[in-house]
This record gives sequence, C-alpha cells and structure tokens, in this order.
Amino acid sequence: MEAVIEVIDLVKEYTIAKKGRGLRGSLKSLLFPQKTKVNGVDGISFSIAPGEIVGYIGPNGAGKSTTIKMLTGILHPTSGSIKVCGISPQADRKAVVGKLGVVFGQRTQLYWDLRLGESFELLRRIYQVDKATYEENMAVLGDVLKLNDFIDTPVRQLSLGQRMRGDLAAAMLHSPSVLFLDEPTIGLDADAKHAIRDFIKEMNRKMGLTVILTTHDLDDVEQLCSRLVVVNHGKVVEDGPIDSIIGKLTPHRLLVVELERPCDDLSHPAATIIKQEGLKVWYQFEKVRVTAAELISDLSQKLPIQDLSVKEPDIEDAIRAVYKGY
Amino acid sequence: MLASFKHYVSVASCFAKLAVQRQLEYPLFLVSWLLMIPIQYFSGIWMLKIIVDRFQPLNGWDFPELTFLYGLGLISHGILVVFFINTWHIDNMVINGGFDRLLLRPMNVFFQLVASYVNFIGLIDCIPGIVIFLYGCHIVGFDWSLANIGKLLLVLLGGVLIRAALFIALGTIAFWTKRNASMVGFALSMLERATMYPLSMYPYILQAIFTFLIPIGFISFYPAAEFLGKSNGVLELPLSFALWTPTIGIVCFLLAHWVFRMGMKKYESAGS
Repeated sequence: MEAVIEVIDLVKEYTIAKKGRGLRGSLKSLLFPQKTKVNGVDGISFSIAPGEIVGYIGPNGAGKSTTIKMLTGILHPTSGSIKVCGISPQADRKAVVGKLGVVFGQRTQLYWDLRLGESFELLRRIYQVDKATYEENMAVLGDVLKLNDFIDTPVRQLSLGQRMRGDLAAAMLHSPSVLFLDEPTIGLDADAKHAIRDFIKEMNRKMGLTVILTTHDLDDVEQLCSRLVVVNHGKVVEDGPIDSIIGKLTPHRLLVVELERPCDDLSHPAATIIKQEGLKVWYQFEKVRVTAAELISDLSQKLPIQDLSVKEPDIEDAIRAVYKGY
Repeated sequence: MLASFKHYVSVASCFAKLAVQRQLEYPLFLVSWLLMIPIQYFSGIWMLKIIVDRFQPLNGWDFPELTFLYGLGLISHGILVVFFINTWHIDNMVINGGFDRLLLRPMNVFFQLVASYVNFIGLIDCIPGIVIFLYGCHIVGFDWSLANIGKLLLVLLGGVLIRAALFIALGTIAFWTKRNASMVGFALSMLERATMYPLSMYPYILQAIFTFLIPIGFISFYPAAEFLGKSNGVLELPLSFALWTPTIGIVCFLLAHWVFRMGMKKYESAGS
C-alpha cells in the first residue's frame, strides 16, 4: 500500500553558540562567537502506511517535536526528503496542511474567550468544509466526544479534559487523513484519558485515520499504538510492532510493599529486593517472568501486608537506559 | 482565483465577527478605553495650544494649522489601531509558538496575522482624531472640494500603510532575535513626535531621516504643508503629496511584507 508518510534521511542541523564563563566569557562570546553545529535530527527514515497508529517516542531533546514540526511543514529540514500524502510539505505547505489535523496537548487552538462552537465555525471556513459535510462530521465528533454538554460554554471555563476533547474535534472537523497528537493526555485524569483514547481508536477504526502520537504516557502507547518508532539523540533506535519493543523498554516493574510487622523471610524467587526501609520493601520484578498479580498473591500468603503499590517504569528513563550506547 | 478570494473574504469576516464577540466579553475594559483614549488625545491638542499661546508659533505654524496637522496624523493612527493592531504582537507570536498554528492552516500566514484581529475598540482612537481634524479643518478654512476629499483619502490610505509597514518591519526583528523585546512603544513615541509637530522644526538630519529612511513625514507633515500652502522645509518635491504618500505607503508595505517573508524563512530554517 502507498505510504501516507515517507521520510528519507531527514536531518535538521542546529547552530549552538558556546558561551564562556562570567562577564569576560560573555564579552569574548560576543566578539568572537564560537558556534558549533549539532544535528537535532540526524538521518531519520521511516514510512507510515494508511490507518496505522504509530507512537513516536523518545526522551526530551531526542528530536521528537522537531521531526513533527518538519512533517507538518512548520520547519524546513537541512537535508533529506519528506512526503506527506505524496506531497512535500516544504514545496506546498498549504496543500499538505489541509490534509492534517494537529493537536498540541499544551497549547490550544480554541478561542479562549468564546463559546467552543465559535472556534469550530472559524475552522469550518478556514478549511472550506461545506455545511452538509460539517454537520455530518460534527454529528459524529459530537457523539464520540460528547461535545453537546459544553459546546456553548466559553473555552476558558472548560475543564482540561473538555478542552482537549474540543481541541480534538477542532483538529478533525475537516476530515484530515493524518492526525498528529503531541502529548494529548498530558495532565488529564484517568476518565479524560480514557475518553481521548477511545476517540482515537474509534476514528482510526471508522475512517482509517492515520495517527502519529508523541507521549510520555506508557498506557497511551500500550493501549493505542500498533507500532513504535523510538528515537534517541536524533536517530531512530527502534522501529517495529509494539509487542517486540515494549518488553525491552519495560523490562521490570516495582512492587512496593508495606508490612504490618517486621518479618524474616522476605524473599521471592522471581523478584529481587532492591531496597528496604523500616517496614517498606521494594521488589523489582520482570513482567515476563512473573505478573504483578502472581507476585502479590505469593507474597501475601507468607507476609502480613498492610499496603502495596505497583510502580510503572517511566518511559523516558527506560529509553535512556536501554539505548544508552547509541 | 475568484474562489480563493471568496475563501479569504469569508475567513476575514468570520475573524472580524469573532473579534467583536471577544471584545464584548469584557465590557468594563471597553468602558475604560472609552474614557482614557479621548483624554489622552485631547490633552495632546491642549498641550499644542499652550505651547503656541505662551511662546510663539512653531516654526511658522499657528494653532489652527497645528490642529489640522495633529488631527490628520491621529486619524491614520486610529485606522491603524483598528486594522493592523496584530502587527504589534508579532514578537509575542514568534516566541510563544502562536506562529506555528498559523503555519498549520492552509492559508497565507501574513493574511492570518493581520486579519485575525480587527480591533473595534480602536474605533475609540478614531473619535478624537476625527473631532480634532474636523475642528482643525474648520479653523483653517479647509476647502471641502471633491478633489481635496479624494486627496485626503489617498493620504490617509498611504499614512496607514506607512505606519503598518513600520510595525511589521520592527515586529519581524523577533524572527532573528528570538526575544520578546517589543519595539512597539519606541515606534509609537517616534511616530507621535514626528506626526504631531511640523517636521521643518527639526534639524536637517532628522528631516532627512524621516523623509528618506523612515518616511513618516509623509503620514501627515508633507500632506498638511501642501494642503495649507506652507513651506515644507528643505525638501521641495515635484508632484503632489496626494501621489507621494500612497505610493510611498505601498512601497513601504511591500518592503515590510518582503522582510516578513525573509523572517519566516529564517524561522522555518532555524525553529525556535
């Protein structure tokens, strides 16, 4: 199948000024600037087929947002080629962005002072969506995102979750072929996260929408993405089906147990104790060897457990640790 | 072509409608402007009167002529404030990422920048301008012939374009500096000083700067000098200012637009 997004050898170079120390250093840098070139994105290639949901993940500064900005035509690459729906966003920005929906989790495109519906009307005109299609799209979007509860509320009075639902609708009302989501669930509570994920799945299933998602949230990745592209230091370090990668990224989890009274035998064959502080014990275990449920049931049979919690590894720390050598 | 024009008109009118609605959300803010702006400009004209009464006419310009000059400059300022106020915020948009959103929409970026906020509160700026100008016309005995009205409209158009070009060019600096150091306040006070008083009272070097380098003399001084049949200082220009002002306005605006495009290229290649 023809790829929706085709990226070949993408490079983005930045000039970084090296600054000397103190006033003397500042003056010296002013007169004789020392500039070094750094590749923020360093030869990235991938291709995405229609209908894929791809997680584009990596630590801060790995080149994620720079890549997204190049794919959406905001920035121009230093070298390499990009084709979105067969068109280069640098050659014809307007043609490409008409087929894209972009949501930045941290920044809204909705008018703060006005009722939500007003922003939609403006976007309808900007994207030249005719009235009938608009009504149809709004009916679908309104249904899945439950917009009717707050479409007449000023955006400044919406909860973060409602605002994000509004932003998703705003990005989708011109029926784009590709949706870019930059941290769509950041700062949301569990319910709102569910609503957003359900919506993405629904649009993908119903309309064959291609989704590219950057996130720090491991649950987003596990529940949504069929494929992961992992970047570190501007390079793709992993690209493949989620099942083959997620195990590597999350080799172990932590179980924190609080005991009622001190015990002698704390050990478990499938878990290692990495820390002990008074009545609190930290077990590290590998998901593939033992599930959290098994571990908890084993431990609770021999130990008087008062309280416990399972800690997910942080996705960014995991990537940094796993791909340290790259 | 026609379809594209209709598209832009449809979006511009929607932008304008939303801008009014946004301003109506804050009625108290509106009232405070309604009180403050006229006070600011009427005290400006009062200052001129005091200067001329107590001392002497400014470089041969008496109070009625100064009123005419001041009024002419204020009207073009008022129109600018209504239609081009977003050019005051280019630096902000570059730094906080608002620019990215414009680039993500399938329309001309410069159009979106200018059209996205029509500042109806700015009409309040026009009121004292119009009052002072009409009063000035009355006391200098301005001839309201069709030819003069036509010239006046061309001069206002040119004046607005010159002002807009200045703000666009200054705002565009942010594409390179990446700093939120607004030059708007500086530009506003420079414009006020150069359009409120007769340019001929400044030293030659300043007259030359405000004629050739930053041609704000064409906003109000040269047109007013010709309307009133006064000497315009060192510079004797052929042809009427009614042609010069709009021509210079269009040239400046196109130059500013070019600078803006260069800035955008810089932005696209460097990022923020």
